[in-house]
Amino acid sequence: MAVRIEPRQEVPAKHLTRPRRARWRPSQGVRSAAASAVLLAVLFVLVQIGVATGALRQTGLPVPTDVVGSTLGLLGTGAFWSDFGRTCLEIGASIAAGCALGFGAGIVFWKLPLLGRVFEPYLVSFYAVPLVLFYPMMIVLVGINAGSIIILSSVMAAIPLALNTRTGLQGIRPVHLKLARTLQCNARQTLFSIAIPAAAPMIVAGMRMAVVYALIGSIAMEFTTAQNGLGYRIRYLYETFDNKTMFAYILVVLILSVVLTVLMALVERVLLRGRR
Amino acid sequence: MQGIHLNDVHVHFDHPSGITIAVDGVTQQVPPRSFVSIVGPSGCGKSTLLAVIAGLQPATSGSVDVNGRRVTGPDRDIGVVFQEDSTLPWRNVRENVEFAMQMAGVSKGERAAKAAAAIELVGLKGFEHSYPATLSGGMRQRVALARTLALQPGVVLMDEPFAALDQQTRIFLGAEVRRIWEQTHQTVLFVTHDISEAILLSQQIWVMSYRPGHVIDVIDIDLPDERDASIVSSPRFNELHNRVWASLQKESMRGFQDVETA
Repeated sequence: MAVRIEPRQEVPAKHLTRPRRARWRPSQGVRSAAASAVLLAVLFVLVQIGVATGALRQTGLPVPTDVVGSTLGLLGTGAFWSDFGRTCLEIGASIAAGCALGFGAGIVFWKLPLLGRVFEPYLVSFYAVPLVLFYPMMIVLVGINAGSIIILSSVMAAIPLALNTRTGLQGIRPVHLKLARTLQCNARQTLFSIAIPAAAPMIVAGMRMAVVYALIGSIAMEFTTAQNGLGYRIRYLYETFDNKTMFAYILVVLILSVVLTVLMALVERVLLRGRR
Repeated sequence: MQGIHLNDVHVHFDHPSGITIAVDGVTQQVPPRSFVSIVGPSGCGKSTLLAVIAGLQPATSGSVDVNGRRVTGPDRDIGVVFQEDSTLPWRNVRENVEFAMQMAGVSKGERAAKAAAAIELVGLKGFEHSYPATLSGGMRQRVALARTLALQPGVVLMDEPFAALDQQTRIFLGAEVRRIWEQTHQTVLFVTHDISEAILLSQQIWVMSYRPGHVIDVIDIDLPDERDASIVSSPRFNELHNRVWASLQKESMRGFQDVETA
């Protein structure tokens, strides 16, 4: 007589049959975005009280409700949308180009370890260099336009992703590669069905950094020298002492960064489904 | 020439301080549709021998034939179940079981049908949509087993598949493997260091010596084909256990001394 054993159920069965309903927990990204929203709200209230009671000087910090008012006012102006569009174009293009470049470079460095060893020291040291420093050089080469900002921001975004992709691929568990060999996977199958999914947590973490770097790079370079864009506008308003409108633009940039964080959290949820 | 034929297999590893002889002239055969286990002390080269049969490790000399074909590299007709957890964390149970077939280019419909059958066979019905992260170590090994069996390979090699599990799960899964084998009657070569597990599962046991590894004893297990975990308490089981243990004891001590004096 053969023994028949039911699989051990260490996890409550209801969780397994209805995983979505049973215990839905927002991802880390969503929770941190919610936390920063709450913090912003608290700050908003504190500043409002501070200014109303005279504890804070109005010249330094405008009344938050005024800032919200002027932000809403901005939405009706064509100038705002032109700056906003330009910055979004730069950030979007840098994220796309930076991710493609970094992901590709990471895979190449993994596939060709010699190339990886040659380039890694440069990547690591470039990672620490504020690449914004090269912006004046880019302006000479490309001109004062979105192109020069996109090129540098893409490089800034690509570096952490390239390093993370390579580290993730190098950290694949040997048994997964052995599995690929015993199943006679070809190079394409091994890369797309084993290597990249196995390295996905590191790659996604690299993408999050890439998004942040693209944002910082684009705004910072606009801030330095540009003819439009949100960063440029903030600096212009600062130099013309238009505090209220300047804070309105700062608020827009903050909202933009929160939106990007939330989007990345969603991307992470989709790409890392079922892990942990 | 069905089954697995090993013909004077040697495996040497070169390293700066000299040569390690991992496998030293093994000539044996696993008859078709039979279940054979290799037992031996740690470091006796039993896993290396299995890797040679799987085509993952080239032999320094000698040859291996599986179902009449010379082994020159990995082959999908040789299924391998690894010691480590080899489930893919980004795929649920059904997708994991389908993975091997997907790589082999099996059509979607056939995949689904075979995966469902394999999942049922290893007792994971109802867990098709669970991800490995929510499964215990034993259940993950069942997934790996189902993935290998679904491809219906000519031979199945198992490299201490339950070594990382707790004692109870090991015994349960051992009995499960025996039950599955009674249904499929595939040619199986099973590597373990657990004598009871080897006797419970096999028709024949090869005892391997400590370095240089070769087969020092071949023991036929004449227990009834229909057996379950209760056979462990039978007198014949004890005799066989003592017989294997006597062969192994000398070798284990030798390996132990080697480590002590190294």
